[in-house]
Amino acid sequence: MQDLVRMLAAWAFVHESADEGWKASVARGRKLEPGELEEGPDAFVDGLAALVAEEKERLKQEIVNAGVNAGAEHEQGVTRPAELGRKLDAVAFELAELRGRLESLQASVDAIAARGED
Amino acid sequence: MSARGRAIAAVALRRFLRAAWQARFGLRRGHARRRVFARHLRLACEELGPTFIKLGQLASVRPDVFSPETVFELERLQDRVPEVPGAEIEAILAAELGAAPEKIFSAFELRPTATASIAQVHQATLAQDYRPVSGAVLPRGSRLAVKIIRPGIETFIAQDLALARRWAGRLARLPGMARLRPGSLLEEFRDTLASELDLRNEGRVADRFARDFADDPLVVVPRVIWRHTTRRVLTTEFVEGWRLNELGEAERSGIDARRLAAHGAEVFMRQVLVHGRYHADLHPANLFVTPDSRICYLDFGIVGRTTPAERIAIAQVLAATVYGDAERALRYSRELGLEVPEDKAPAVQARVADLMKAHLAGREQADVRGFALGFLSMLADFRIPIPEGYGLLVKALITVEGVARAIYPDIDIIQSARPFATRLIAAQLSRPERLHERAPAALKAALRELLA
Repeated sequence: MQDLVRMLAAWAFVHESADEGWKASVARGRKLEPGELEEGPDAFVDGLAALVAEEKERLKQEIVNAGVNAGAEHEQGVTRPAELGRKLDAVAFELAELRGRLESLQASVDAIAARGED
Repeated sequence: MSARGRAIAAVALRRFLRAAWQARFGLRRGHARRRVFARHLRLACEELGPTFIKLGQLASVRPDVFSPETVFELERLQDRVPEVPGAEIEAILAAELGAAPEKIFSAFELRPTATASIAQVHQATLAQDYRPVSGAVLPRGSRLAVKIIRPGIETFIAQDLALARRWAGRLARLPGMARLRPGSLLEEFRDTLASELDLRNEGRVADRFARDFADDPLVVVPRVIWRHTTRRVLTTEFVEGWRLNELGEAERSGIDARRLAAHGAEVFMRQVLVHGRYHADLHPANLFVTPDSRICYLDFGIVGRTTPAERIAIAQVLAATVYGDAERALRYSRELGLEVPEDKAPAVQARVADLMKAHLAGREQADVRGFALGFLSMLADFRIPIPEGYGLLVKALITVEGVARAIYPDIDIIQSARPFATRLIAAQLSRPERLHERAPAALKAALRELLA
């Protein structure tokens, strides 16, 4: 049920509009007392509309927070595990690259030394 | 004038006179005349040897400077150079790696597998296990490809470039030639050539590409053996396969050619749009198809780069082209530096829409090459300068179509690009910060629709 409500909330968020009928339904749904949801199809739709509207607001807040938090964490230098993994991977690669360069330089040094021995 | 200078002048003059004769001294117009001159330019480069072959190859990826006819003719430049004798190869290896080939490798083939104007490639066998920069350990006994710079090529190229610089100075004084900026163009080419002559640069780019595509099981980038790599020697693992121009019906029947061709196109788009660096010198000799249906990329001499902002604009241009939206394609092309003057914009947009209709939509098989050729010619007609990166990208896109068709002749590159372009745009739009940024505008648009 929660997934369905969340899906409808996502749909409502993406297709957000000023539909008066929808707004009225949400308002009626908010006024429903516990148990009144089962009083008939109209009450059910109103109750569902209110649930979806609530979930939509939560979803909107999550998206805004995700943006704000990402920015704040970036500013404060806070790193999440997935990001840490990516950073570690990048550093490991750079180290391996450095090892490659050293091996290549070693080959050149060996060649110069061998010429000196001749 | 030196003997080499006289030889260059003689070839240039002979080719120019032949081209002028075949072009009826300018009586043949436009496309036909440019094709004749382009053909003789290619033949002159081939006659003049490694420096000019290389300069021609570099020019072939610059549609921002040269006409489309010249660019596509120079693409056909062929290296026909004699192989370097085995004794000289042994001497180079000893000088570069400090020992004879039989001491470095457990086996070394003195006969080259491939020869080109700058380097030649030999096969060898790894003597000890090796841990590459990325990927699994290469076990002892692995087959290797050893690329070796031809002896004396650096001096030869330096001498030719010194002569070419003098000629470029003279050419710049001719009317109509100053626009090509021969002097600064030659300097750019000199820098690229200098980078190509140090094979360690190619090895580094190969390692980066291997990392970019580490999660793609269909892409192979040969691993570099840095222990046996120096400025003049590049040792990598040897990959068995067919070059694209060797791919016949028999080979195609054993691989999933359609899937591989579509994947090849997607890999290119990932290079440009996700990783920000792409192989800008793709041609049949630089690509292999392996018997287990994978694509192997070789020779990372010329690499294009894109910034994050450019990637977003390129994705939009690509999507607009795929979906036949001329206005959107031109709008985002401006973000890539293509400056279309306001007074010419309607005419340019109409021409782009016509080109899209003629070559991309409403055809059984889209023709990207025809579209791009028409697009570049149209920009030349309107005297709109082509930014360097933009030109390189257009050229690379044409090459990708050619490469995909060499693997699977019936592929429609536009159809193949559609899902990737859609996914990419969707991914760009669904980022939280982007959603948040666009939500008010989307709401206003929805309100306008409702109240209208």
